[in-house]
Amino acid sequence: MSRALLRSVLELRTPVTRLPPSFLLPMRSIPARFFNQTTQIIEPAQTADADADAIHATLTAARQQLVQQQQQYQQPQPQPTPKKPRLPTSPSLPTPTGPVSESVRSLLPILAAQPGHYITIHIHGQPYLVTEGDSVRLPFKMPGVEPGDVLRLDCATAIGSRDFTLQGAPYIDGRLFECRAIVTGTEAEPMRVLIKKKRRCRRKTHIRSKHKYTIMRISELKIRSDVSDL
Amino acid sequence: MSWFRITLHRSAIGLPERTRGVLAALGLRRRSQTVFHPVSQDFAGMIMKVKELVRVQEVDAPKTDAEVKAERQFAPGFWVEKRGKEVMARRGGGGRDMN
Repeated sequence: MSRALLRSVLELRTPVTRLPPSFLLPMRSIPARFFNQTTQIIEPAQTADADADAIHATLTAARQQLVQQQQQYQQPQPQPTPKKPRLPTSPSLPTPTGPVSESVRSLLPILAAQPGHYITIHIHGQPYLVTEGDSVRLPFKMPGVEPGDVLRLDCATAIGSRDFTLQGAPYIDGRLFECRAIVTGTEAEPMRVLIKKKRRCRRKTHIRSKHKYTIMRISELKIRSDVSDL
Repeated sequence: MSWFRITLHRSAIGLPERTRGVLAALGLRRRSQTVFHPVSQDFAGMIMKVKELVRVQEVDAPKTDAEVKAERQFAPGFWVEKRGKEVMARRGGGGRDMN
């Protein structure tokens, strides 16, 4: 009897004792609290006015006013919805429909057959010469993207290999290649501190800034070898 | 119907009140601002008054301010094909929320 009791007590204890110390527990267990989750505190004002009204007006009028005030305070405050950045979900250049030129038709299979290609992609007008597997640190934080997002890169000015280069005018036809990148994360530079000081004045202002950059990896670069249907 | 596409190229600082009035009547307030007006004698005369300050084109249709701005901007060059959450869900892994 006493042994069974002891075992039951131990069973109760074990899940508690097996848990790692609190600092090893994931942060998810702590309920996250954001700035926009706290309800706005509104202190009831106009108490002096209400008293004055109560003196002058009849008791019933004061009661009605109080009820109205309570209803006013109980109305739910409209929560400001966070503005989501709009990400492009369709090709940024209009898809060309005409037939490709004869030189592209004849030479693109040769370019595609060569090993190792580079591509000059343009993001917001900035060129990046990359090959497959490269990791690119963009000089800005791309708003709205999260790690794991697959981006299709469709503005390219040059695709080449060791012997051949396909040059766009200014951009290459988007049907000739497929380039994809995976967002791998965000990187931050070390904190910069800029000291501002005026002459003959001891006061110094430290201006801190820390920029964030989006990292992405070029996961795929395919060049179309068969352009007979274009 | 054709339209004048008028861009203020040079500033009107230091010019007579009369000239600045013509620019105001055209709706031009700052440099490199673009306005569209229908092709007519009135607007042709106004453009003649300030022909040293503006650049004029004849176009088929007017554009909104947003469309004029879009002309100057580069294409983003990318678009989101798949969201990371969708990829994780397809793999069956309940990945940690990356918010």
